[in-house]
Amino acid sequence: MDPFSAEGELLNIHNAFHSGQYQEVIDFETAALSSENQLPARVLKLRAQIALGQTDEVLAEVSSEEDTPDLAAVKALAQQAAGKTDAALQLAQELAENYPENATVEVLAATVLQVQGYSEEAIALLTKHQGNLEAVSLIVQIHLQQNRTDLALKEVQAAKRWAQDSLLVNLAESWVGLRVGGETYQSAFYVYEELASAPSTSAPLSIVGQAVAELHLGRLPEAEAALTTALERYPEDAELIANTIVLNVLSGKPSTDLESRLQQLDPSHALLADIQEKSEFFDTAAAKYAPKVSS
Amino acid sequence: MQSSPTMLTKFESKSSRAKGIAFHPTRPWILVSLHSSTIQLWDYRMGTLIDRFEEHDGPVRGVDFHPTQPLFVSGGDDYKIKVWNYQTRRCLFTLNGHLDYVRTVYFHPELPWILSASDDQTIRIWNWQNRSLICTMTGHNHYVMCAQFHPTEDLIASASLDQSVRIWDISGLRKKHSAPTSVSFEDQMARANPNQADMFGNTDAIVKFVLEGHDRGVNWVSFHPTLPLIVSAGDDRLIKLWRMSETKAWEVDTCRGHFQNASAALFHPHQDLILSAGEDKTIRVWDLNKRTSVQSFKRDVDRFWVIAAHPKINLFAAGHDTGVMVFKLERERPASAVHQNQLFYITKEKHVKSYDFAKNVESPPMLSLRKLGSPWVPPRTVSYNPAERAILVTSPADSGTYELIHLPRDATGAVEPTDVKRGQATSAVFVARNRFAVFNPATQQVDIKDLSNSTTKTIKPPAGTTDIYFGGTGCLLFITPTTVALFDIQQKKQLAEVTVSGVKYVVWSNDGLYCALLSKHNVTIVTKTLEQVSTLHETIRIKSATWDDSGVLIYSTLNHVKYSLLNGDNGIIRTLDQTVYLVRVKGRNVYCLDRNASPRVLEIDPTEYRFKLALVKRNYDEMLQIIKNSSLVGQSIISYLQKKGYPEIALQFVQDPQTRFDLALECGNLDVAIEMARELDRPNFWNRLGVEALAHGNHQTVEMTYQKQRNFDKLSFLYLATGDQEKLSRMAKIAEHRGDFTSRFQNAIYRGDVEDRIQMFKEVDQYPLAYLTAKTNGLTEEAESILEACGLTEDQITLPSVEQPLKTALPIVPTFKSKWPVKAAGHSSFEKALLGEVGAADEEDAGDAFEFDDAEPEAALAKDTLDDEEEDASGWDMGDDVNVEEDVEFVNVESPEAGAGSSEADLWARNSPLAADHVAAGSFDTAMQLLNRQVGAVQFAPLKDRFLEVFKASKTYLPATAGLPPLVNYVRRTTEETDSRKVLPIIPRDLETIAGAELQEGYAAMRANKLEDGVKIFKGIVHGLLVNTVSSEAEVEQAKKIIETAREYILAMSIELERRGVSTDSEEGLKRSLELSAYFTIPKLEVAHRQLALMAAMKFSFANKNYNSALGFANRMLANGGSAKLLEQARKIKAQCERNPSDAIDIEFDQFAEFDICAASHTPIFSGSPNVADLFTGAKYHPQYKGSVCRISDVTEIGAPASGLRLFVPGQY
Repeated sequence: MDPFSAEGELLNIHNAFHSGQYQEVIDFETAALSSENQLPARVLKLRAQIALGQTDEVLAEVSSEEDTPDLAAVKALAQQAAGKTDAALQLAQELAENYPENATVEVLAATVLQVQGYSEEAIALLTKHQGNLEAVSLIVQIHLQQNRTDLALKEVQAAKRWAQDSLLVNLAESWVGLRVGGETYQSAFYVYEELASAPSTSAPLSIVGQAVAELHLGRLPEAEAALTTALERYPEDAELIANTIVLNVLSGKPSTDLESRLQQLDPSHALLADIQEKSEFFDTAAAKYAPKVSS
Repeated sequence: MQSSPTMLTKFESKSSRAKGIAFHPTRPWILVSLHSSTIQLWDYRMGTLIDRFEEHDGPVRGVDFHPTQPLFVSGGDDYKIKVWNYQTRRCLFTLNGHLDYVRTVYFHPELPWILSASDDQTIRIWNWQNRSLICTMTGHNHYVMCAQFHPTEDLIASASLDQSVRIWDISGLRKKHSAPTSVSFEDQMARANPNQADMFGNTDAIVKFVLEGHDRGVNWVSFHPTLPLIVSAGDDRLIKLWRMSETKAWEVDTCRGHFQNASAALFHPHQDLILSAGEDKTIRVWDLNKRTSVQSFKRDVDRFWVIAAHPKINLFAAGHDTGVMVFKLERERPASAVHQNQLFYITKEKHVKSYDFAKNVESPPMLSLRKLGSPWVPPRTVSYNPAERAILVTSPADSGTYELIHLPRDATGAVEPTDVKRGQATSAVFVARNRFAVFNPATQQVDIKDLSNSTTKTIKPPAGTTDIYFGGTGCLLFITPTTVALFDIQQKKQLAEVTVSGVKYVVWSNDGLYCALLSKHNVTIVTKTLEQVSTLHETIRIKSATWDDSGVLIYSTLNHVKYSLLNGDNGIIRTLDQTVYLVRVKGRNVYCLDRNASPRVLEIDPTEYRFKLALVKRNYDEMLQIIKNSSLVGQSIISYLQKKGYPEIALQFVQDPQTRFDLALECGNLDVAIEMARELDRPNFWNRLGVEALAHGNHQTVEMTYQKQRNFDKLSFLYLATGDQEKLSRMAKIAEHRGDFTSRFQNAIYRGDVEDRIQMFKEVDQYPLAYLTAKTNGLTEEAESILEACGLTEDQITLPSVEQPLKTALPIVPTFKSKWPVKAAGHSSFEKALLGEVGAADEEDAGDAFEFDDAEPEAALAKDTLDDEEEDASGWDMGDDVNVEEDVEFVNVESPEAGAGSSEADLWARNSPLAADHVAAGSFDTAMQLLNRQVGAVQFAPLKDRFLEVFKASKTYLPATAGLPPLVNYVRRTTEETDSRKVLPIIPRDLETIAGAELQEGYAAMRANKLEDGVKIFKGIVHGLLVNTVSSEAEVEQAKKIIETAREYILAMSIELERRGVSTDSEEGLKRSLELSAYFTIPKLEVAHRQLALMAAMKFSFANKNYNSALGFANRMLANGGSAKLLEQARKIKAQCERNPSDAIDIEFDQFAEFDICAASHTPIFSGSPNVADLFTGAKYHPQYKGSVCRISDVTEIGAPASGLRLFVPGQY
């Protein structure tokens, strides 16, 4: 039986992880779980730790148990998060070669591969999954990052046939929805709103999702309300800040403070990188033009 | 047996035997129950079967409508009484209880009761609200054939085959079923009194009288509506009249005449008549007072079974073996005649009266015609002879009689006429002052008589003549069932004949030129010589007609007043709530007689028919008047005009641009069409405009439409055809620019430009062709260089022999400079009237019209040349646009990568030619290219913030899988759109924000004297609009306005800022300072702000003793008005300055001259002196600043060629 299914004892910890409640995952009581579920639970806890930036602790914990492919995959992810990208890539490729059937390896190794730009390998590894929703959602995300909305949509629709109510499928559908636009903006909004308003699933992840959906729907005041309250609760969340910057620009408000805050928290954030790149691009492009007569 | 000239059948149905009939109290409906178990609902006015109700089993003998609710009741041989709703068309419920056939059923006039009579010898009363039987009346000892409620009292009459009629008192029943408080002691006593109870102890309904007199069974009994009279019909073939008092009832008289069983009888609702129907196939009418037969009507084979009267109007219905007939007993059309302002008519009382149209006064009765004809037959026609003040009256009584009567001098009352001449005839009309014609159908002879009633002439009318009418002086109209013939009495000769069937009335127009022939459903208009002009058909019966003074026929049907023009155009003027007979129309008033023969005036709105008439008569003045003064608009009039071929007039009514466009094309009004096409701005319209303009030979318009459609090939050919070499060469350049070689080749051919052709061949690597071209055109050098480039020598090539190339002919006449002979364009004289509002634009007034024609082309020409210049520019602007798109495509070719799709940002750049969308897509380079072309932007640094701002707002970051970067999504302004070819980015700081908050911020800076901030804000506005999108053409205009406003403010603030920097210590500095303060007042600021500038300038000048300048500023301030405080100061200074209006320092400022301020040097550019402008901001500069960056925008190059800013693409948003 799928341990993550509605009847499974891992459902709660699984949902908590995927709705971004990482601290709750770490605090989760796992002693009572059956023996075969102990390992997946532990992996989730370790991944939560990585997500919260506690990579050193994770690396220390798994260093002695690298024989277990699941934990080795965790190690690769931790290495990646810690910036040891070469080692992470090597390990991930190795694991992908040796344990392509292992669900944890599939997801984590593929994550490392995708981050490092090996999208095709990542997809190849993930497509070997057997009913692994995490793999599905990862595939969807990779397709979306490659701007293949069509493929992502197909993947989601296939998954919906056998896992209609799963949180991951709902989320993946919302990701696609925010790409497609039109009416699907609204349905994506409903998914995130539901998550954000229920205390058991409310986290920066869901609030950002809700606010982003509202931004796309053109409902700026609502988006602002969601983001402002969230920012008070989670002042350090990079995505919250990044999206607030976008919102402020759209509604004609200053955003420099937030930009410097983002600069401190996550100097490599896509927003900053983009702006930097475009700023330089602007200068080179603008240099081609000059008035006939300088004044 | 007496014939029945006045029984008028209105409706007949064919069915099986009709046993029961009921009139609807308000609608023209009749309910008929048939022996075949069906109940039919007919509209007797339209003659249509509305519905059928078939739930009874076997014959249905009785039906009745409820007086107010949508219900009816029926009773049949299935012993059942059914109550139906005719709206829902369903049987609501069934009342069971009778043990044999139900004969009649009736609703009580006010209580919720139903009365039924049955063959089971009982009469029953049912409460249909609670669906219960409340009373059973026993006593008859044979079938009860009929039972009816008394219309007002608590009585029931019943008729039975036991030969008796019984009158029942049901007051007990009423008391029992009404509120209990009304039961007094006496009532209780009375009810308790056993003597009055019947044998079952029933006190609800007791027999009051038993009427015995018929010696066979009685079939029917009816109460008189108001008198204590009863009528009954029996199998003894007698109709018996009974009278009753409080205590007794007795037989009054018997009407004998039916020679078979009498089925039914009733009283006329408002005349002293009895109507009866019998199995002898007759309906008989009896005089109630004399009990004599008044008239009778016989059917050939059908026995009558039932008769009913309409409760309100003069209608009856009778059921017989094969259906029903609805009929009137008498004509309701009052006889009348019109002479000038007088109407003569005969009232119901047979009094002759007159009515004055102008004074709206009825005269007292003049005569009584009581003795004319029979008392029950009203006169049919009246004809008036003004010379003798005599009338001819006809009556259908006694096979038709006429009387010639002289009217008394004064109307003194209904006096009996003296000196009456009478005779036998059905028709009698005056044909001359001292002659009248009478027609006798029996002898088929028309006699012309003099006023002493002696025949002077006898005419044999055509066979089958039914009626005669006045036919114009000395003429008669003979009406036969199929024709109308015009007959000259003097010559005894038929002049003309027209085939029109069933004519009943003839109405002559006031001028005697036209005549309307009315039949039941048709109006035929003929001339006085019987030439048919038009004819129209009405489904509703036509009642009467009269002519408007202007020659419009106004006619009435049962329920409408309508008009018909001579050409047959007709329409409804108003509805009627009751039938009237029109006698005259004058202005907005229609005069008529109603069925009670009293004159009435109806108000109508003649606008519609007057307009149409004016249109037909081409009376443009009147049309103009009507258009101006009335609210005559609407789809119907537009389509009418269009249908009638007056699109140019319809154009005047239309607002909707598309319809206007269509109409303008239809009437060839290109000016309007162009205007509308501009407004609509869609390719389809340009295309149609182009086709039309080409047909007109208006090639300037054709050119414009081709430009709009980017139809390069056609454009080239047009230039060729019009000989516009210059533009043709520009087309060649465009083709080159577009990289369209075919087009370029074509243009080169058109222009005979060999070099270009060779050049082009070389560019597409067609060296052989290039060589051949060069060679044949004798360009040896060129040919050699080509050979050289190909590494060949001349002897390696064999050339086909080519004849001397044709020289391209040069245009001799520059056709393009003027229009070709243009198709007569569509300014109708109507339009001229409308446009020029010429007072009396009679068509005869040719001189006037000619002048108009003359003036037109000149104006048009002048306008065209103007247009030409404008269009020239737009033509090249379009060329640039093409480049833009190609560039965009070029970008796109690069972007797709294998595997991954293109991001939405790429799509944006692909989907839009607007710079802002390219910026949002991050495609800054193409955005800059666009801006460079559109507004001549060259210095982009000041736009960097705006670019990054737009770019920053374009994406959101959605965290997805932990460990992976967030998903990037693109924010759209097209939030509803999912088609990737149409999605477009959101642009922050939209027009609304800029026009609202930012502009106010700028004004605030001006008020607060924070000019540095102000300049920054306004420049921000300019930059914000430069990189932006809007959603409509209107908004484009708004944006342009805002840019202008910002320009004026930036200029003003810069001038003032410079002034503040100038030291006033030196004389030169002071002079410059004074000048600048004066210039500060020039830009077009908001009035309040200009006052500030003027105030500053005034004070500064005044302080420096430049009184004359100060005076000028003070005057301008006073002219502007505004806050009292400022004006007070201005007045003071003005007063001071006026004492010594001179300037101490001479400055370069002339307050009376027209000038602009150079935005760079802040010195005046006087009107007429050379200058350059910045295309984007519109700021003016001295010529030496051409090529430098605009001081207002900081971005664009002064005087750079540019196509104009694009903020909006139609259909894109």
